[in-house]
Amino acid sequence: MTRLPLAAILAAFFLALAWFVSLRQAILFLVGIGMGAVLAGARFGFTTGWRRLIEQRDPSGVMAQLLLLAAAAAVSMPLLAAFPTDLGAALGPPSISLLVGAFVFGAAMQVADGCGSGTLYKAGMGVPLNMAILPVFAVGSFLGSAQLEQWLQLGATRPVSLVATFGPWEAFGLTCAGLLLLGLAARAWVGKGATWFNRRLLIGAILLAALAMLNLLIAGQPWGVVYGFGLWAAKVATAVGAFDPAGNAFWSQAVNLNNLSQSVFLDVTSITNIGILAGALLIAAGKSSAASQRAPLTAQQWLVGIVAGFLLGYSSRLAFGCNIGAMVSGISTGSLHGWIWVPVAFCGSLIGVRIRRRYAF
Amino acid sequence: MKKNLSPLAIAFWAMLVVFFAWDWAVSDPVNVRREPPLIAAGSGQAPTGGHCASTF
Repeated sequence: MTRLPLAAILAAFFLALAWFVSLRQAILFLVGIGMGAVLAGARFGFTTGWRRLIEQRDPSGVMAQLLLLAAAAAVSMPLLAAFPTDLGAALGPPSISLLVGAFVFGAAMQVADGCGSGTLYKAGMGVPLNMAILPVFAVGSFLGSAQLEQWLQLGATRPVSLVATFGPWEAFGLTCAGLLLLGLAARAWVGKGATWFNRRLLIGAILLAALAMLNLLIAGQPWGVVYGFGLWAAKVATAVGAFDPAGNAFWSQAVNLNNLSQSVFLDVTSITNIGILAGALLIAAGKSSAASQRAPLTAQQWLVGIVAGFLLGYSSRLAFGCNIGAMVSGISTGSLHGWIWVPVAFCGSLIGVRIRRRYAF
Repeated sequence: MKKNLSPLAIAFWAMLVVFFAWDWAVSDPVNVRREPPLIAAGSGQAPTGGHCASTF
C-alpha cells in the first residue's frame, strides 16, 4: 500500500476516534503516530544502541538515548511539580521483581531484537519476527501482571520519587549527574577515537522527548507500552473464561477492572501503541519490504525468538516497564526504579548479545 | 512505489483489526458526555489510566 491511501485510512481512524471515543484519544493517536514515525524513520532502537555499544564500542546510540532522557527530564520534572495532582510519574517500587525482570528483559530484548517500542515499530514496518512476537509479548505481559503480587511478596519497598523528595530542579540536577556518569562510563568503555554523535539519532531523541512530553501533558501519565499489551491479552483471557479478574490482585483494582470493561480505544497506552504501529507502517509504506531485506529465519531462530518475545512481556511487568515505561519515563519523571532498571537491564543485555550470537541472529 | 505485504503481515494486520473490532463490539459503550479532559495538565483531574510502572 502506498502512503496516500494509508494516510487516508489513518485520517479516517483519527476522525472516528474524535467522534465516537474522545478528542483526547484522537490526539494521543496522532502523538503515537509521531512516535512510530520517529522511531522507524530515525531507526531509533534502544536495543540496537546498547548492542552496538557492547559489541562494536559504538556509543552514538547510547548518547542519543542519554540526550532523550535529559531533554525529557528537563520538561517532565518541572511539570510534575507544577501539576502534582493532574500529572503522574512512572513510579515503580524497588523490588526483587524489578531486579529479576530488568535482567531478563535486557537479555530477551537482544535476542528478540526489540524492546517494547522496538517490537512495536518493527512490527509496524513488517519485520517478520517482531510481528510474530507481538501476540506472545502480550500474553507474557498479561501473565506477568497477573502474578505480580506473588513477585512483590519476595521483597519490595515503596516507590521513590526524586521530584517529591528533593524538588524538581534538584531532581533534574541529580538526573543530569547520573546521565553524565553513564556517559563517562560509556567513554571509558569505548576509548578514544569513537564517533560519539549521530545526527539522525540526536534529532530522533529530541523529537521523541517532545512527543513524550505531549503524552504526559495530554494523558496525565508518562509514555508507556507494555501495560497496553497486557490489557489486550487480559481482555481475551477474560472473554474466553480462562481468567477471572475479580480474583486477581492486579486486575481486580478499580483502574484495571475499568479498563477491562471499556474499549481499548479509551486506554491511553493502547492508543499510543496503535499509533506507533501506524506511524511505522506509514514510514515503511513506499519503501522496499523490511522482510525482503533480511535472510529468512531458521526454525530454531523462530523458536528462540518467540520464547524471547514471551519473556519480554513477562519480565517487563516484573520490572515495572520496558525501555520506555521504566527507563525513559521512569528516569525522566524522577523514579528511582528507572535508575535501578538501567544497569541491571544492561547486565542482562551483556548475556543477551551472547545468546544472540549463539543462535546466529 | 508499491510495497507488497507478506502473508505474515496480512495476517498480523488482520488479527489486529479483528481484535479491535471484537473489542469495540463487546466493550461497554463509550459515554461521550463523560469525555476526559483534552489536556490533563491544569484540568484538576487526577490521571486514571493504567501504566506499566504502577503496581496496582
